[in-house]
Amino acid sequence: MANIDLPRLKEIVGEENVKSDPADLYVYGSDSSVHHASTDAVVRPKNTEQVQQIMRWANEHRVPVISRGGGSAMCGQTVPVQGGITLDMKRMNRILEINPPDVYCRVEPGVVDDDLNSALKPFGVFYPPTPASSRIATIGGEIGNNASGVRSVKYGATRDSVLGMKVVLANGDLVTLGTRTRVEATGYQLHKLIVGSEGTLGVVVEATLGFVPIPKFRCLGMANFDRLEDAGGAIASIMAGGVSPSMLELMDNVAIKAVNKTMDLGIPDVAAILLYEADGMGKEAVDHEINLMKTLCEQHNGTGIKSSYDPKERTKIFMGRKKLFPALSKFSDTLSSTSLADDMAVPYSKMAETAAKIHEVAKRNNIIMTAYGHCGSGCMHTKILMDPTRQDQWDSARKAVDEIYEYVRSVHGTTSAEHGIGISKASAFQHEKANSLTLMANVKRAFDPNNILNPGKLMQAPENWVTATDLRYMID
Amino acid sequence: MEKRPMEFNHLEKWKSTLDNCIRCGYCYEHCPLAKHTRWESDTPRAKMSMLFGMLSGELAPSSYIAEKLFSCFYCQRCTAACSSGVPITDVFTDARADFAGTEFEMPGTTSVTGKECAACLACVRVCPHEARSFQDGVIVTDRVKCQSCGICVDTCPRQAITIETAYGTDRGFLDGEVAAFLEKENGKAIVFGCNWSFYPDLQTAVAPPSNDDEPEYKILINLCGGRLQKTQLLEPLLNNGWGVLVACCPDGDCEHDGNIKAKSHVNYLRSLLETMDIDPDRIQLVQIAHGDKSGFQEAIDTFMERINALGPLIQ
Repeated sequence: MANIDLPRLKEIVGEENVKSDPADLYVYGSDSSVHHASTDAVVRPKNTEQVQQIMRWANEHRVPVISRGGGSAMCGQTVPVQGGITLDMKRMNRILEINPPDVYCRVEPGVVDDDLNSALKPFGVFYPPTPASSRIATIGGEIGNNASGVRSVKYGATRDSVLGMKVVLANGDLVTLGTRTRVEATGYQLHKLIVGSEGTLGVVVEATLGFVPIPKFRCLGMANFDRLEDAGGAIASIMAGGVSPSMLELMDNVAIKAVNKTMDLGIPDVAAILLYEADGMGKEAVDHEINLMKTLCEQHNGTGIKSSYDPKERTKIFMGRKKLFPALSKFSDTLSSTSLADDMAVPYSKMAETAAKIHEVAKRNNIIMTAYGHCGSGCMHTKILMDPTRQDQWDSARKAVDEIYEYVRSVHGTTSAEHGIGISKASAFQHEKANSLTLMANVKRAFDPNNILNPGKLMQAPENWVTATDLRYMID
Repeated sequence: MEKRPMEFNHLEKWKSTLDNCIRCGYCYEHCPLAKHTRWESDTPRAKMSMLFGMLSGELAPSSYIAEKLFSCFYCQRCTAACSSGVPITDVFTDARADFAGTEFEMPGTTSVTGKECAACLACVRVCPHEARSFQDGVIVTDRVKCQSCGICVDTCPRQAITIETAYGTDRGFLDGEVAAFLEKENGKAIVFGCNWSFYPDLQTAVAPPSNDDEPEYKILINLCGGRLQKTQLLEPLLNNGWGVLVACCPDGDCEHDGNIKAKSHVNYLRSLLETMDIDPDRIQLVQIAHGDKSGFQEAIDTFMERINALGPLIQ
């Protein structure tokens, strides 16, 4: 437990913005991962100056600082493994500027993604990274994790939309990184380094973000496949076929069964379903792309193909994918849906093989896993359905996670596509990045010589994620 | 009265349910308490986490935790939004049952009866949750059953009933918001929306300064139409407002039958306006189905069209 000077913190942010009851410290020790570790104090800064003062105090006293947004991280990124101060950034929630002529906006880190998009909508533009959790995810958290979502295939991830930022360093200094322009040629683009650094290099206090026009036309299609390999073939053909989908989603048979088990949406019990979408400002161009994707699906034995521009019909087509998340949670009364091996990215040509590998590993280890994801960006998601009260299930889960990521590395994939590394994927990350870990440690040291910013994550996390923290389950 | 020891007789059965909560946080997007304080500790997710902590022995029961658990308006938006299908408020109710009668029990948002009570029993009769009773000469609130709908608060002729911590839903706070908005140049009307019928999104970001015209109406979330007092509905008109719109649940949808009471209030006030030669359309009520954002906006637009046609109350 870190030695926290609560009176000093209260002096900085006001008494009403510091929490230290054991219940507060306990609940701030969780996110959407399997991990738990209580924090030592929760502090809500309102402005940059307060963040600087907190960092100066923490740096002087070598106290860890963990910045936290919506608390929806899936790999333990905001779990304070070494205690310290949790910075709840949600009070820094101002949209500072929307500048349509120069195509950027400036926001504080506590702004929620959906709120930003509501504010941008009247200007006919949107901020595209938008993860599934955009209703609660903050821009700061999205920057920390380089978040993305279903449309990353066309519009990219957070890193592609961040033009610049202001960051408070570990010693309290404020630096301005990046630009407000679309391009910036050479020099170390440190704002891009901050994106995806999971709060280990600095505290983002302002971000300059690009946005894009809301497309006038959007068409969503769907194809069924009796063989997973055919769906995989269609994915690779679409991505190499001179078409630019705005969404390309895969659902495997386990995912389909899970949805069908929990709700009656009439989804065919096939090996795989692909959802493909095109958008644009001209209908002719969207028609062309949708027809091309339809043809490519047909060439790979896709059946039951349908598509629609109508928003209500699109919602209906997408409903199975949308309901997958809750369906997995409700799959069984005795099994819990855990965020493990939750994401990865592989080359397009390996998508089907990866899904098959996930099934094989799950079966061998006596757990249930599904494969779904934004295959247009090579992103594969899964969940492990297991009885979290049984130690043998955790042993199996750990073995399965190791096996899956070993395979991912063997096909030149990467450990995380968009959920981040945190604690639960750190072992796989360290294996993948083995020959650059020293360089990363040196970068970390340059930013944070006293190692106070979110310590114990990424390259610092222990090999065994099961014992890295308390698990948020009661194991018998 | 002697306090009983804390035991988890009711909570125990939810052990595996607490595991099923994946702590995604989708519940707090809708929680009026969490939106008001913006502390994680006030979110349904955090309360579930506290319960888990107590069951696992990692967290000792405390008045602080009890205060959190007894603070809930039972709008049940969290349960509807839960991606794991966890009946969140049912879990809270059982946790309350375990806290009730212990040294830790706290009022939270449950209604409290003050010394001004004349024991007329009106609150006992109107309580939709059978949470109020008359025992040994005093009104007693069953804090496990009380869902903080606030209907008793409005009913009490002596104003003896209060909800001590109201998280921005109390009359005083809302009256202040009404007055502040209607002081603005463009401020014309107030829309009272219940948390269930109105789908408010997170709405926590502060928008940048705008050169556009300020909106002509302000939406205030009062949780349940049944909490609105008649005089409260007149506040906007007394503050030079042009009109008031009350949004509540469709018939049969309100857990507290608050929509029936709201309709009764609005009908009464419309008649009252007529007797004063004021167009009754200045006070209207609309029933909005859960999640019908566009229907709600259409209703507001129609209302504002009518209000603008009527013009200011004092010409």
